[in-house]
Amino acid sequence: MNRLLSFLFHQGVLDEQFLQLQQLQDETSPNFVSEVVNIYFHESEKLLRNLRALLMERELMDYKKMGIDLNQLMGSSSSIGAKRVTNVCVAFRVATEQNNRVGCFRALEMLEHEYCYLKNKLHELFQIEQQRDLAAGVRYPVQN
Amino acid sequence: MEQSSMNSGEFPAGLRVLVVDDDVTTLKIIERMSVRCHYCVTTCSEATAALKILRERKGCFDVVLSDVHMPDMDGYKLLEHVGLEMDLPVIMMSVDDRTSTVMKGIRHGACDYFIKPVRLEELRNIWQHVARKFLNESKEHDNSSSREDNDRNNISSAAGATKGIVKEQKKRSNLKDEEDVELENDDPSTSKKPRVVWSVELHQQFVSAVNQLGLDKAVPKKILELMNVPGLTRENVASHLQKFRLYLKRLSGVAQQQNEMLNTVPGTIESKLAAAERYIQTVAASGYVSPETLAALHAELLGHPVTNIVPTVDRTTLMQAFEQEPKHSGADDHDVASGQPLAKYPSNIVNNFPQSILKVDNSSLGYGAWPPSDTLGSVSRGSLGVPNNNMVIDILQHHQKHQHQQKQQKSPIHDQNQSINVQPSCLVVPAQSSDTFQEVKSVASVNKDCSFSRNAIIDYSQQSQKSNISSSTSQYLGRDTKSTSISPLMSSFSVGSSNSNIQQIQNSTSTFGAARPLPSLLPMTFRQVPYDIKSSDSLDQVCLRNPRFVGKGNHISSFENEIESSASDFSHMKVFVACNGNTVKEEPKEEPNFIRYSNVNHPVLYNYPSHDHSSAST
Repeated sequence: MNRLLSFLFHQGVLDEQFLQLQQLQDETSPNFVSEVVNIYFHESEKLLRNLRALLMERELMDYKKMGIDLNQLMGSSSSIGAKRVTNVCVAFRVATEQNNRVGCFRALEMLEHEYCYLKNKLHELFQIEQQRDLAAGVRYPVQN
Repeated sequence: MEQSSMNSGEFPAGLRVLVVDDDVTTLKIIERMSVRCHYCVTTCSEATAALKILRERKGCFDVVLSDVHMPDMDGYKLLEHVGLEMDLPVIMMSVDDRTSTVMKGIRHGACDYFIKPVRLEELRNIWQHVARKFLNESKEHDNSSSREDNDRNNISSAAGATKGIVKEQKKRSNLKDEEDVELENDDPSTSKKPRVVWSVELHQQFVSAVNQLGLDKAVPKKILELMNVPGLTRENVASHLQKFRLYLKRLSGVAQQQNEMLNTVPGTIESKLAAAERYIQTVAASGYVSPETLAALHAELLGHPVTNIVPTVDRTTLMQAFEQEPKHSGADDHDVASGQPLAKYPSNIVNNFPQSILKVDNSSLGYGAWPPSDTLGSVSRGSLGVPNNNMVIDILQHHQKHQHQQKQQKSPIHDQNQSINVQPSCLVVPAQSSDTFQEVKSVASVNKDCSFSRNAIIDYSQQSQKSNISSSTSQYLGRDTKSTSISPLMSSFSVGSSNSNIQQIQNSTSTFGAARPLPSLLPMTFRQVPYDIKSSDSLDQVCLRNPRFVGKGNHISSFENEIESSASDFSHMKVFVACNGNTVKEEPKEEPNFIRYSNVNHPVLYNYPSHDHSSAST
């Protein structure tokens, strides 16, 4: 798991904020990180869907609304520590400010791409963690 | 109170924090961080709910952390409310790190501005704002006390000079005539500096005093005397006045900004006009606006520079609409006529118009009885601080006075030339209980005006509770309503309401026929107009998804469930993850290129519409 983590850090998928999250996890809230991340996934998927719907509009593109959604997505991504996603959001925001439809499309694609990647990797991470916990849990009673 | 937490040896532990953010992720994280810092944290995902909590539990919080961009209420608005009503330090948060945004926060009085992601270290430091505020208040009181001592010897105990504050410091205890009067909501703790809480009633008194004196001539001492509240000091009034002035200035500045903004965004004029039209419809539906008044108003507004964005055809249609008015508003009754659709209204007139509409409606309320109609619904509360509204307000006040005196509906209002109180009287929307509302009738028209506005505003904010787009309601009632929503853009001052008022309002709003929410129709406040006009369901989802959630977090279902639900939700993403090696329970059947993996070791492949189909990996 540490290997995967360091790999993700190296790639810039995650940043120190994720470490902060991990530090916030302790005995009083043992599943904090996975909980928060799941909330994040849930919310961001909604936001991404909204963004796509907004971009699919034929006529009047509501950049302002996109900006709102984007702002929220950026906020939560940065709170999670999803650096690459956040960066793409920044680029996306620039495109919306310039009313650049093509740019927005490209940014959205990239956003979805990065998001998927992040989601997969984080799921992987959690699974490894779970398995490790299970394995550790089995061992303890035996020791006693 | 913070004093108690300060006195306990573990400060800043126990700091009572209220966190407001529409983003649940951030909310949860900050909550956790706060717990880690040993704070007492309360979270809230809606600004309106947060205000409600703050009002209900006054004195229960030391600091507020608020997001800048929130769907139901602008963070700046919340900031102002908190600053004015509760005088708590507010810290803004946002991922937006642009200098202009930060500057705006500072201008609105934020104590600090955090850029997301918020780090634990930053959160640990927020106690300094609480401490600073506390110390500043102490200093204020110290200064006032020494000054008061000098004055006391010379001045008779006028109400204003009386310093009846509970629990003075020992060095001030030599004030003999101090009365042991409890300030409203004062916390009988071991506090050395009892803080004046500007409750709604108190604020209302303040405002009426200011209006009586005139904003320019409003001196704290005189205000204090007028208010005649025992226990209030000149300094309290002075600082509050300062805040009030800043607030007004901001509003007028914003209104002008928005004027400009409107003029420079032609693309969304249609939507604005459409929204304006609906708005006007509802106003017209009130039927209280006598044709003369409306015409006068209209003339007034049209006299203002209309930019070239709006074609003149709008004007003519509007005039036609006005001409239709006499048909239904001539009767001397309070029944609401069915709305006549006014023509498309010039958008920049909309800027000004709602302010006057507000007044018009207010005047109609002068009958004392609460019309069980939809007069309130159409009122915008955007009558703040825009200098070019003087005349309009004059007219309305005339109308109101006249009506009240004669108890007749039809009267050529605009002829009258009574002197008008200071314009700011209309700006502030004081809240009054319904009892005082009735009493106020006989008081200066200013007060009445204010109380009308208040009720109108209350109505508005009720409606706006359901508003989906980021409308900047500045008032919040703390009541849930199911009425249709019209998002007001009034930036008013304080809100408080009694139950009876709300019920009345609810009656009226339920009859209110506006079909579609009008988010931010009136660019009165800090929200940009083109921003919000369109309301889409997708945004509904985003903004309204959170039920009011106050308290320590919500629990996420188990890992497994979460994955499944998210998978089924997400139609674009075809990612699917098996949990713990179990096979997937649910599969979106309509996704032919779905790829599933049941083994952790296999990397997950994801497909989405624009990319080529890639085969399963290793």
